[in-house]
Amino acid sequence: MLEAAIEILLKTVVILALPLGALPLIIHVERRGAAFMQKRLGPNRVGPFGLLQPLADVAKFMFKEEVHPTHVRPFFYTAAPMVALIVALLPLACIPVAGPIEAFGRTIYPEVFRSDMGIFFAFAVSALGSYGILLAGWASNNKYSMLGALRACAQMVSYELSLSTSVVAMIFLFGTNDIHVMVQAQSGYWLGFIPQWGVFYQPIAAMLFLVGIFAESNRLPFDLAEGESEIVAGYHLEYSSMKFALFFMAEYIHMIALSALFIILFFGGYGILPGMEGLASKSPYLLMLLQVVSLIIKIACMIWFFVWVRWTLPRFRYDQLMNLGWERLLPLGIANLIVTVLFVYFRNQ
Amino acid sequence: MSIYYYLSAFLFCLGLLGSIFKKDLISILLCLELMMSGVAVLFVLFSKSTGFLDSQLMVIFMMIISACEVAIGLSLIIALYRKKQTIYTDDIKIITE
Amino acid sequence: MAVDIMLTILTVVFALMVVFSKKTVVAAFSLLMTLLMIAMIYFQLGTVFISAVQVLINAGAIAILFVFVMMLINLEQFTNNREKSKWKLIVSTVTILVLLGVFALVINNNIETLSVMNLADNSMKTLFAKLFDVYYLPFEMATVLLLAAIVACIVITSHEKHEVAEELAAAKSEDKV
Repeated sequence: MLEAAIEILLKTVVILALPLGALPLIIHVERRGAAFMQKRLGPNRVGPFGLLQPLADVAKFMFKEEVHPTHVRPFFYTAAPMVALIVALLPLACIPVAGPIEAFGRTIYPEVFRSDMGIFFAFAVSALGSYGILLAGWASNNKYSMLGALRACAQMVSYELSLSTSVVAMIFLFGTNDIHVMVQAQSGYWLGFIPQWGVFYQPIAAMLFLVGIFAESNRLPFDLAEGESEIVAGYHLEYSSMKFALFFMAEYIHMIALSALFIILFFGGYGILPGMEGLASKSPYLLMLLQVVSLIIKIACMIWFFVWVRWTLPRFRYDQLMNLGWERLLPLGIANLIVTVLFVYFRNQ
Repeated sequence: MSIYYYLSAFLFCLGLLGSIFKKDLISILLCLELMMSGVAVLFVLFSKSTGFLDSQLMVIFMMIISACEVAIGLSLIIALYRKKQTIYTDDIKIITE
Repeated sequence: MAVDIMLTILTVVFALMVVFSKKTVVAAFSLLMTLLMIAMIYFQLGTVFISAVQVLINAGAIAILFVFVMMLINLEQFTNNREKSKWKLIVSTVTILVLLGVFALVINNNIETLSVMNLADNSMKTLFAKLFDVYYLPFEMATVLLLAAIVACIVITSHEKHEVAEELAAAKSEDKV
């Protein structure tokens, strides 16, 4: 009993520490990436290469005065950032950072919540993601905030549909909901060097999922919820100092969690990168380490992709966004699903 | 475990009470949802007590039906609000225009 | 057992808040919490799949619809306190008491037969094998029902064509002025 409790506590600490510890680095990469694309230098004064800038930002957030407007609904106003952060953290519980490992005479699974329908749970929990934003928009008692929250909510609900069609297609293809089995199924190679990743089986589903991530985490080109030029700052207009920082963290953690799910479904999850086999075959512990490193490298590539897209594409107009979601992506997702189901049916004959 | 039987009965009765008393349509829909979830808890408990999986499937069907009910109910409320600017049951006494 | 009692108390508190809170938005968020608590109860009972579906559909979609609609129509102008009728109170209290009595009678008399069995195979595979083996016709009909609901929602909420044209014309004339 005690042993199990300690194990779960340790896993929780690791799974929380990884994304939260990486946050300052990600924010730094985002700023420097933006500067790189706009031919300027970006933050480079605090510490070597400006690496300590995020720490300075954290200090600033902490010591800033916390403005509490008088026209808000106090309870929900305070609760909203916490709800946003907690809901963003929840899907991480189902994401394994490495394969199961034999240690202390039993098999240890590295995810906090081990279930044979892990991917299903992760999506069920990330469906709650819009509550934090809705609460913030409503509690702020401000027309801009409310508009931002309504936009965010409608957008998240509609893009969740095309996202789930792609997930269902992948579940059909692998025939399982177990994340470990999915990763196992993607571990082989074609012709000796092309990894058998899901993206090569299902490019359309991968595209739908990628668009879905951008819409779900409210990143550009889908950041209609914030839209500075139209609704000032959207749902977090009334928030300052640490409360705003919580929303900021929630957005980035949501992004990390969804990228991890994308990698599990389409890029082999924690499976080691091509070229690492020789090193990995030496010891199971080394293999585990390499798996963690591979997952981190893949997520880092995804984060760079997010930054890249953010500073490349302009923001959509709202009707364009809705039309894209309902009239293009959803029919495409359903057609893709039907083709996949037929393919799986005839393969299993 | 038997405490959940009482819980489901309580949820059902509370939802019934609310849907009788509430004056605005959205609250009535909320209370109907409460009643539905009470019955769903009972179905899962039956599945536990009999060992059959059928009642769990009934819960899935109930979720489908409650989704339909809520969607249509809310869209009716919106249509009503557009026409009459009210959501009170007392104010809707005439069916035709 | 302690977990069971705790979950029950929390569910009861949130359910009471659904019915007795003055603001409807608070009631909607309490309903969300009730649904999440019920998902936890399902999890505690070992029906993991139903629990996940509860979070995904009831908490993730249905409750969001409620909140969304409440924000669309300005609810601040509506409060739950309008005139109350005495007879409604008496009649409904009696009804509820009778119902609760019947429930208690049934549960108390069958508490032995309602003993808890272990669900041996509760996985998604067996569940859906049963669904597509025995209940495939009701399942298909449920999908048709969903489709009908979608169409009905669109028909009910969409403006008629001439209304849209009128609104557009009004907007345009305003622009010119």
